[in-house]
Amino acid sequence: MSEKAILFDSSKCTACKGCQIACKCWNGLPSPTGLNENVFSGTLQNPPDVNGDTRLIITFNEMEAEEGMSNKSIAWAFGRRSCQHCSDAPCAQVCPGGALVKDEATGFVSVDDSKCIGCQYCSSACPFDVPHYYGAQSKVNKCTGCIDRVENGMAPACVSTCQPGALQFGDRDEMIAIAHKRVEFLKAHGYEKATVYGENEMGGLHVIQVLKYGVEAHGQVEDPKVSPMVGLQQIMKPITAVGTGATVLGLGAMFALAAGYRHKNLAYNEKTGDTIDVDTGEVVKHGDAQDELTVVEHLTENLPKKKGGSHE
Amino acid sequence: MTSHWCDFQNADVIMNIGSNSAENHPVSSKWIHKAHERGAKWIVVDPRYTRTAEQADIYCPIRSGTDIAFYGGLYNYIIENDLWQHEYVLNYTNASYLLDPEYEFDPATGFFSGWDEEAGKYSNHSWHYQVESETVWDTSEGGDYAWAVAEGVPEFTPPVVQHPKRDMTLQDPLCVFQQFKKHYSRYDMDTVCSICGMDKETLELVYSTYASTGQPGKAGAVLYALGQTQHTYGAQNTRAMSVLQLLLGNIGVPGGGLNALRGEPNVQGATDMGMLVNEHPAYLKWANTTDRSSLRKWLESQTYSDGYYTNKPKFLISSLKEWFGENATVENDYGYDWWPKVPTSPDFTMMSTFELMDQGVIKGYFNWGMNPCHSAPNAGFVRRSMAKLDWLVVADQVATESATFWKAPDMNPEEIDTTVYFLPCALIYEKPGIILNSGRWMQYRNKAVEPWDMAKPDYEMCDLIWREVCRLYEEEGGANPDPILKTKWDYYVDGKIDPRPVAWALNGYRVAGTECNTTSAAPKTDLLPGYGDLKADGSTACAMWIYSGFWSNNDAPLDAAEQPIGRRDNSDASGIGLNSTWAYAWPNNRRILYNRASADMAGKPWNPEKVLVEWTGDKWNLVDAADFVAAKNGKPVPPNDKAFFMLWEQNGRLESYGMADGPLPEHYEPFETPVESNPLNGALNSPCMQFARNESTRKGDSAEYPIVATTYSVTEMWQTGGQSRMCPALVEAMPSQFVEISEELAAEKGIEKGDKVRVFNNRGSVVVDAMVTKRIKPLTVHGETQHLVGLTHHYSWAGVFGTGDTVNDLTPNVGDPNSFTPEYKAFLVDIEKA
Repeated sequence: MSEKAILFDSSKCTACKGCQIACKCWNGLPSPTGLNENVFSGTLQNPPDVNGDTRLIITFNEMEAEEGMSNKSIAWAFGRRSCQHCSDAPCAQVCPGGALVKDEATGFVSVDDSKCIGCQYCSSACPFDVPHYYGAQSKVNKCTGCIDRVENGMAPACVSTCQPGALQFGDRDEMIAIAHKRVEFLKAHGYEKATVYGENEMGGLHVIQVLKYGVEAHGQVEDPKVSPMVGLQQIMKPITAVGTGATVLGLGAMFALAAGYRHKNLAYNEKTGDTIDVDTGEVVKHGDAQDELTVVEHLTENLPKKKGGSHE
Repeated sequence: MTSHWCDFQNADVIMNIGSNSAENHPVSSKWIHKAHERGAKWIVVDPRYTRTAEQADIYCPIRSGTDIAFYGGLYNYIIENDLWQHEYVLNYTNASYLLDPEYEFDPATGFFSGWDEEAGKYSNHSWHYQVESETVWDTSEGGDYAWAVAEGVPEFTPPVVQHPKRDMTLQDPLCVFQQFKKHYSRYDMDTVCSICGMDKETLELVYSTYASTGQPGKAGAVLYALGQTQHTYGAQNTRAMSVLQLLLGNIGVPGGGLNALRGEPNVQGATDMGMLVNEHPAYLKWANTTDRSSLRKWLESQTYSDGYYTNKPKFLISSLKEWFGENATVENDYGYDWWPKVPTSPDFTMMSTFELMDQGVIKGYFNWGMNPCHSAPNAGFVRRSMAKLDWLVVADQVATESATFWKAPDMNPEEIDTTVYFLPCALIYEKPGIILNSGRWMQYRNKAVEPWDMAKPDYEMCDLIWREVCRLYEEEGGANPDPILKTKWDYYVDGKIDPRPVAWALNGYRVAGTECNTTSAAPKTDLLPGYGDLKADGSTACAMWIYSGFWSNNDAPLDAAEQPIGRRDNSDASGIGLNSTWAYAWPNNRRILYNRASADMAGKPWNPEKVLVEWTGDKWNLVDAADFVAAKNGKPVPPNDKAFFMLWEQNGRLESYGMADGPLPEHYEPFETPVESNPLNGALNSPCMQFARNESTRKGDSAEYPIVATTYSVTEMWQTGGQSRMCPALVEAMPSQFVEISEELAAEKGIEKGDKVRVFNNRGSVVVDAMVTKRIKPLTVHGETQHLVGLTHHYSWAGVFGTGDTVNDLTPNVGDPNSFTPEYKAFLVDIEKA
């Protein structure tokens, strides 16, 4: 099988969320069932972010259109927030249990639940902040590219359900070619910031995107980077999660230094135990009498709560 | 729609008005994008920057309730700039027809000629044409209309053909074109902008872009939905769009058309089936107490003098034969008198029904496939009316608001004495049957799963009730037994009610060779190949003449897959996406209605790249099934100007005497309006609005309620949520209903995103979530700032995963005088932070 990719064309997406629902249905992911348990986000983006039970959401970002962005005065950028299946998948590289595995044939990064130990290093390593902790089962969850379907000759569930043709699936080269052609079309129609995303990012993503209003408008990360710590982590891999202690937690914090999806740039100083905001130099958490657990809590707290655009 | 979904790809310009197709019909985008990629322009006119506006090239905001001002301005622009399709308009429309000399419109009063103040309605006498000459039907042996006097055909006096006086120079001041031009000369762009709250530059861009399709060979498609129809002038909106398309020569051409985007649950099928009080299945009229009180009167008032509707007697008699079977004979007028007659008063249209409940006239109610306690306008009044019923039957798949009306937060069950019966029904996937899409395609769906628990398909419930009613009549007698006991009800396969014999009835068959009630694997049927074979002499039966031909294979009458409806060949011989071998499009598998108009007077296609029909010099090359008389007695009929043969004049109507509220669309303000005057004429509101004087409507004025409100659906939810609020994933995707408000209004009211907001007027008050957005902007109307808000309406008190207030407590129960459709799209409210 040649390398595959999902193509997301934001300029054809009608933001109907059919993909979001199809993903849940195919993968058996539950939704809250208590009466009025779901809370309205204040925008059409619901739920507000991917979570342990939601591997894919459509994001909404509305703006006054800048010069060259559109011939209309408003720009409403729809985004597709989910795993992008990096070639240099840092999540798979750091995963101590071998739960996250890159399929060399397709390029998709799948998840083997039975091997996930719930350490969440993958969440920190991901420049897009995609893998999310699935509290009830103490596992991490993310898009698998519906590898179960792909291996059986079907397109991923999200693609199969897309009516306007905003999602396509096929050989990666072919998807890239379609994306470039579409960007050309959009530029000729007044969307000068239109761009292809995913061709080279992170060694090449397996979700190729046509971003009508440019990278950031659609909630994507400009020039995402693999954390330098990921390489170091390879050395740590033989040590299991239990007992690796502060060093690994420190590494976890250092992942945040990599360019990525709205992580705060935090650094953990092992000597003092302080956590520092690299941008401001502010000590956001003092190390005095700090135990390992509070570091975990601290990191969790500082993970961005809402992602995927500014929610209009 | 006159066209079909796949045909959008052939358009040069697409205009969505009153339709948020990307949101509510996601699949439409696939076809529009194809057109777009080939260079088409896409316009959206909408109060909000919608999901569809985001896809389009041009977005033009409009104040809810001012569509006709927009269209009038567009007509004026087209005529002033000479952008209309001359050959098309001159020959295929009534532009050249001379109107009655008494025809008049008075801008000072806002009335057309013929207003009867006492009756509160128009007489359309002066809206007719002047008559040049008259001819009569040739009913002699061998004549065109010999069938009308054949044995078995009920006696009636055929209509006289009145040939209208025409001025082909279009110069006579009484010709439709000159009257039309004069009428819309008042609609200049500044006035339109002031009424609609538009920016002139944007409006001009919209006008020039859309009017460019008036060029022969270019096609413009109008896509509309409930944003055009759910108004007190909704039918005039539909006419206004038809007139626009005629002016530009866009009806009947590939990529053109007037395209009503219908809802998913078979709205097209329901419309065809005549779900309105005065509509008989297949667009015939029900018996009434005035001009249709007997069969003879029906035939004489309904049969057209010319065009295809000269055949109406065949359709009606065949329908009666299906209705009453062998009991229907020429001697008893085929049972016509057994049909109930729709009275002039009281009015049994939907909104009036609840008035009648309130007055104690209606005491029992079958509520089938609808949820008016949630979906009807002024829903609070509906609930209070229902509480006066003795009994209520609700057939639905979940306990809807209507099934539990006494549980509404504002109801006191102790004071309610209504007995409520709930009949659980099968969901669409739990029963086989026929469904139609907006392009009139008929497709058969097999049952996917068994109905849950005691739930039954609606037709099975009907059958059980029917048989029990018949048993009671037979055993105990009762009032008016004949309409019940003479009715033919034999749609059984192996003793069980079955949609397949119903399909035979809809398709039509020769009575002598067909038995609906069958126990055989090879039933006896003589199904007709199409409606051309229907007779007015009682030898054929057909419940839906327009569908005739969809189920016509006598070799396998029980197998949907072997019928035209079951075709699944998606090869496309037309090359322009007609897909004529996929499913079956009524009528006669015609994919684009009025396709004669796709070619010029010589029969040459306006666009040689996209051919529907073409006269080759001695015959017609028919890529689509002809929607005109292409051959007669086996001989080709050379091209003529009869492009609209469903009308007696066989030309499209720029002016129409058929509307209750005026022969030309004229702008009037909605029932509740934020403005105090109408710059276009002396009447603020249309004098013809229905139910506006009913006490229950509780009209609000702009001093108290200054904000224009409109309602709409979101793609994540389906109508009142009976199905979609039962799906946790959909509730998660759209957890509540919201009011969409501009940043400017939000700042004025101190409201922030996600706040709870109270929206209220004289009829009700609801608390919903705030969605503060850049996508709605305050408009400048009559020189002043006008705020507009939008509300979704999918939640209410019944439900297990998500509930909310009932937004339709706010909408006014007033309606259109032609269709009786309610006004959901323009009314007044005020809002405050809750």
